[in-house]
Amino acid sequence: VSNLTDLGVAAIRDGFRAGDFSAREVADAFNANVAGAKALNAFIVETPDHAIAAAETADRDRSEGNLKPLSGVPIGMKDLFCTKGVQTTAASHILEGFIPQYESTVSSNLWAAGAGMLGKLNMDQFAMGSSNETSYFGNVISPWKRSDGSNAALAPGGSSGGSSSAIAARLCPAATGTDTGGSIRQPASFTGISGIKPTYGRCSRWGVVAFASSLDQAGPMAHDVRDCAIMLENMAGFDPKDSTSLQLPVPKWETGLSSNLKGLRIGIPKEYRVDNMPPEIDALWEQGIAWMKDAGAEIVEVSLPHTKYALPAYYIIAPAEASSNLARYDGVRYGLRDLPDGAGLQDMYAATRAAGFGPEVKRRIMIGTYVLSAGFYDAYFTQASKVRALIAQDFDKAWEACDLLLTPTAPSAAFALGEKSADPLAMYLNDVFTVPSSLAGLPAMSVPAGLDGQGLPLGLQIIGKALDEQGVLGAGLAIEERAGFVARAGKWW
Amino acid sequence: MTAVIPNILRLRDDVVSDGGMREAILANAPAAEHGFFGVPKVIE
Repeated sequence: VSNLTDLGVAAIRDGFRAGDFSAREVADAFNANVAGAKALNAFIVETPDHAIAAAETADRDRSEGNLKPLSGVPIGMKDLFCTKGVQTTAASHILEGFIPQYESTVSSNLWAAGAGMLGKLNMDQFAMGSSNETSYFGNVISPWKRSDGSNAALAPGGSSGGSSSAIAARLCPAATGTDTGGSIRQPASFTGISGIKPTYGRCSRWGVVAFASSLDQAGPMAHDVRDCAIMLENMAGFDPKDSTSLQLPVPKWETGLSSNLKGLRIGIPKEYRVDNMPPEIDALWEQGIAWMKDAGAEIVEVSLPHTKYALPAYYIIAPAEASSNLARYDGVRYGLRDLPDGAGLQDMYAATRAAGFGPEVKRRIMIGTYVLSAGFYDAYFTQASKVRALIAQDFDKAWEACDLLLTPTAPSAAFALGEKSADPLAMYLNDVFTVPSSLAGLPAMSVPAGLDGQGLPLGLQIIGKALDEQGVLGAGLAIEERAGFVARAGKWW
Repeated sequence: MTAVIPNILRLRDDVVSDGGMREAILANAPAAEHGFFGVPKVIE
């Protein structure tokens, strides 16, 4: 094999099993790519030793005929997952130096499946952002460049921007992501990779630094649909330590993959035809519809009438939950402590939080505190919760007419760093197509479908019924087979 | 909305399921003293 780092999860797994290469060779190749890509700033901590140790175990297991599902596969871990003995910061200053004494359930599942860790991936601070510009550890840069020769540094999307950048740049074959309002799907779309947010409750939230607990859901990001299926099988599963974990068996999603959509009805939600959408995205959506028909599906127009209220409701509910979750950072038990001379306990709390949180995190804590305050609770939080129920009902009604929904993933291709960071509302609009399915807890995935006029990747999104990851993956595969997306970012780093 | 995905809140037996890990709990404390979290003086 000429270049091991060109391989995805399935190819590494199968090639390793067939004896084409050793797990150690794979780990060494990816470790070298990680070490050579500092310019992308995709990793906060590199863990080559973890990857090598897992690889040596895998090589020994292979010689003993004791292979595990991910034996020989090294991956990247978003820095939102607590990893025992390895710094976990959620890309914040307030958790800088925090060394978890325990392992998150999702990462623990992946290690038990034989995977190794290449490092902790950079992200938007506390997963709050759509461009990876809110990290305390600096912006992540996308490996992609516009074809106009402008050389502008582009956003890899967010909040899982380290994950998307690292996979697109072949620093890891797959990575974990988390998705609260689109944080797996939008970065996947921006960087020409695949990513799936499963049904809320499929992946345990235990040991994942909390942002908005009723929305947060972990999922995989990888080069293609099959690799996502393999990863998700090894991340998901019931966990008694998470009260919202679904007590259901994990389906064999990889074995069940089928791109034959005969008999399926694909809904096209008319409210997703937003104003000012670039014509290229509209055209790609039309192309996706043609691909769905070609795969045997019937196309139906559906209505999700409350779509326009999804973003406003989301930007009340998510900050409300964040303001509550982030109250734990007080400088007492872990993380940063800022204790000015002669300060008392209250002063210490205030100084610690002022020094430890970035501007976007503070903005959301303040919005959340406001919408939960005694005088405004009913006007904002209760109202937003009602809207959320209506949005979920919209989907339930749509499922009477169709089995899956096809939409664009994001309203634009990747923008340049700094282009939107001054205007929070422009930034929030990035999530317009991904937030409604998050509010309803539904599985949704982005697959790369084409390039825009600047040579940048664009993704299409498939949304499914609760627990129908299999259907989402199948339709994603149908797009993947027809799109033939092979474009790659040229190496400049 | 009360639940994103309909789910039954499970009950578990009312027994101690972990503990005895004081060192691990204090390991990340900015100021751990005598087996406790240290904070600035709060009473005069």
